[in-house]
Amino acid sequence: MERNIKISIRNLYKIFGPVPDVALAYVRRGMGKAELLEKHNHVLGLQDINVDIHEGEITVIMGLSGSGKSTLIRHLNRLIEPTAGEVEVDGENVLAYDEDKLRKLRREQMSMVFQKFALLPHKTVLENAGMALLVRGFSVQEFEGEAKKWLARVGLEGNEYQYPHQLSGGMQQRVGIARALASNSPIMLMDEAFSALDPLIRSDMQDLLLELQEELQKTVVFITHDLDESLKLADHLVILKDGHIVQQGEPQEILMNPNDSYITDFISDINRARVLRVRSIMEKTKEAPEECAGDISERDNLESVIARSNGDTNLTYRVVRKGNQVGILKMEELVKALVPLEAAEGDARSRY
Amino acid sequence: MATYDFIFSSLGLEDWCAAGQSDAPMSMAALLQKTKGTTGEPESLWDTPFPSMDALNESCAAFPQSRDLTKGLEEGFLAVKDSMSIVLDPLTQPLSWALDGTLYGMLNTPWWIVIPLLLAVVFFVTKSWKLVAFVAASLCLLAFIDYYRYAMETLAIIFVCAFLCVLFGVPIGIAMSRSNMMQRLTVPVLDMLQTLPPFVYLIPLIFLFSVTESKLYGIAIILYAIVPVIRLTNLGIRLVDKDVIEAADAFGMTSHQKLFKVQIPLALPNIMAGVNQTIMMSLAMVVIASLVSAPGLGVLVLQGIRNLELGVGLVAGLGIVILAVILDRVTKASLARINASQNQ
Repeated sequence: MERNIKISIRNLYKIFGPVPDVALAYVRRGMGKAELLEKHNHVLGLQDINVDIHEGEITVIMGLSGSGKSTLIRHLNRLIEPTAGEVEVDGENVLAYDEDKLRKLRREQMSMVFQKFALLPHKTVLENAGMALLVRGFSVQEFEGEAKKWLARVGLEGNEYQYPHQLSGGMQQRVGIARALASNSPIMLMDEAFSALDPLIRSDMQDLLLELQEELQKTVVFITHDLDESLKLADHLVILKDGHIVQQGEPQEILMNPNDSYITDFISDINRARVLRVRSIMEKTKEAPEECAGDISERDNLESVIARSNGDTNLTYRVVRKGNQVGILKMEELVKALVPLEAAEGDARSRY
Repeated sequence: MATYDFIFSSLGLEDWCAAGQSDAPMSMAALLQKTKGTTGEPESLWDTPFPSMDALNESCAAFPQSRDLTKGLEEGFLAVKDSMSIVLDPLTQPLSWALDGTLYGMLNTPWWIVIPLLLAVVFFVTKSWKLVAFVAASLCLLAFIDYYRYAMETLAIIFVCAFLCVLFGVPIGIAMSRSNMMQRLTVPVLDMLQTLPPFVYLIPLIFLFSVTESKLYGIAIILYAIVPVIRLTNLGIRLVDKDVIEAADAFGMTSHQKLFKVQIPLALPNIMAGVNQTIMMSLAMVVIASLVSAPGLGVLVLQGIRNLELGVGLVAGLGIVILAVILDRVTKASLARINASQNQ
């Protein structure tokens, strides 16, 4: 099912330094990040970024620290101005906006969730949740109902009149999410929103986000350095390294066909049985298998199939989508798929 | 003939120097030399003077001496003084009115209204009965030893000056925090105001305004005491968490909304620390300002020094300490209340 493109990033460059335009010319002629820093003392933040962000999907931008992912997300609402390139939201070039239009965009189109929560410490949870509405000129009485609704939705009923410092980190980030949701904007930017939380709470928050997303169908741009998190959340995964995109696409696709040794390294540590799904490794055929051990859904992960087979590698399963067969899966193939592939050679888009 | 004759002769300035020549001795040393009949030529390299204005003047009479510099400054100041007064006098007149009015008000309201009123203010800003009791005891002690009037004069001056310091200092601090250029321009001025010995800026003020006007000491106190509130407002706003500012931007706050809903509230602990410092510094200055007719406890200290009245001076000094402790405790307690409401 193809969705509309909500945000489109075209040939985006960001260079930090005193004369970025000059440095840009060098980069366009092929100078790398290290050389640019050494010879011209400019930092290459982002290099030729092209991403289409589809409406109603979670697009995850993943990279290690320094890869430019936080810089990239700040270009979407122009907290950072690009050196060159275009950012289009609903087909309109955001970079051409004047201050008023930009403010309107930030107030009504995009909301943001921050790594360090960034709540107002002198305001109550309720006032924080209603910040977007407060900014638009509503009084506390007017937005109280709306803010309370979203606070309840993220599980913070009864905490409305506390102050942020009285809440735990996980609860503070729930306030951050409620604040973003209460603005009723179609786009939600999440900058390492769960990175500061401990693993169990992080997992809870991921489930909360997926649950909310099922219901609200917002366009979410999610930044993370955690591969497990990105595989869990992403409809579309963009992997950044040193300011350029190494690979982007459907997460399962990236797992099965990594095109760069960087990504191979990255995915070698993950629990493949849990993140890979049957549809990614099945053999597509309408023919019924000779010995069928049973039906499995194409959306099942491999872990559940292994559990079901009791470790027997001789079995073959029928893969079904809505009751119809779409393929077969031999347990032998499944076990092979658990071994990480080497990067497809010659396909690697190395820039150095 | 003197050491540096060669400079002027090599530059061909002898004629210009000769024009300034006069036979009359220009200094005591010159007079002594003239009567002794010796020349000023140094005997050895060891005695070579620094090429200062006076040393050069010895070689060339047309060259100005250092006392011409101070004299020139004084003459220059006197020349612009009248036109400055025309501008500054009406501008600063409200300060005189405010000081005189507050002094009149506080001194002519009966003590049984003023003291409870002050205690009510203390309770309002600190919400602490303990502090109210302490302030009540201190004020009663001062009143009991008949220093009530002087203490109230000092307090009235501090109230007016500290209020004006905050009124002007906070906006200046905000302006500084918003522009690095403004900060670069303001910091040297603040440094100067803070390090200049307090007596020194009484001098031009005495020339500018009549000593009988209360704005004279008002300006001196404000100039001296305004520095911390400016500095700490600037610092407080610059220290506001960058993430919170970014969130404010991301949700589309205007810079006005950002200032009043985020920056100032979050900078308030620092601003209040600045207000505390400002009050303490105006208390220090109000004593010195008694030299230029500021009323209050400082007058008694001055009297103690002038007339060698040891007891008067000591008791007045103690009274100032009591006022300082009261003001410090009260502002610190209200600062602590603000801190408690937004510790993170």
